[in-house]
Amino acid sequence: MVKTSDALEEELRAIFSGDTPWVTIVWDDPVNLQTYVTYVFMELFGYSKAKATELMLQVHNEGKAIVSTGSREEMEHDVARLHEFGLWATLQRGDQI
Amino acid sequence: MSANEGFKRHGDHSYVATFDTAEKEVVLNLCEQLIELLAERVDHGHEDPLAALVGITSHDSPPEDEVLHRLLPNAYSDDVDSAEFRRYTESTLRGKKQAHAMSIRMALKSSPEGDVELDHQGANDWLGGLNDIRLALGVRLKIENNSYEHLELLSPDDPLRGVYSVYTWLGWLQETLLSALMDEISD
Repeated sequence: MVKTSDALEEELRAIFSGDTPWVTIVWDDPVNLQTYVTYVFMELFGYSKAKATELMLQVHNEGKAIVSTGSREEMEHDVARLHEFGLWATLQRGDQI
Repeated sequence: MSANEGFKRHGDHSYVATFDTAEKEVVLNLCEQLIELLAERVDHGHEDPLAALVGITSHDSPPEDEVLHRLLPNAYSDDVDSAEFRRYTESTLRGKKQAHAMSIRMALKSSPEGDVELDHQGANDWLGGLNDIRLALGVRLKIENNSYEHLELLSPDDPLRGVYSVYTWLGWLQETLLSALMDEISD
């Protein structure tokens, strides 16, 4: 039996309306200092220290983390800014992770 | 390397450090090399001058040099999308990275005594520039998977040993600046 929920409906609507969200992914890199990665997340995305630290640890421990979500243009902008600060970032469609 | 204590917070949005002559030389030298490395590729006369004017380049393949490839990575896992993105953004990215290194160079050159005082923007320039230098050295030192064993075991006369000590020192310097910045944020 299919259960419906707000999240599922949102997801289905996104698939048919063509505005599937894109995501920016940051990948682990042994050179970048942990404090630096945390600082860049705070500086570029305005995240709190707690949220930025959590994302940094996810990158470090799991090899990658989704750091932002939005339109393709927005994610291209985020990736460009992360590259400017030397973080290893890519973007892709949110449904293809 | 010396009595350098790294960066310290000095009032609001101000971060100071003092570099001795040898340290200045090392950082200046690395900045010069980074700026040169990031200079535009010359594509044998096929560049469209109008496109170049607005930052669009005719090359869209990733740089062959391993260091440049790390500094200017692909934005997509897909090669076609990556090439398109690169065509429109690589030139801007090179310029921004060069600007970080130039900001470091200017701060060091304008102080004969080696005293450097940075505002928030200056601090970000230094962080980005020092990080790019460390990324470049990291490629040459083959730093992968947080493993430093092959570097700890280098013989004292191996030139890479000197590179490794510079790499470690720059990491420490970057850490002191981050600590000064974070100190302000948690206030």
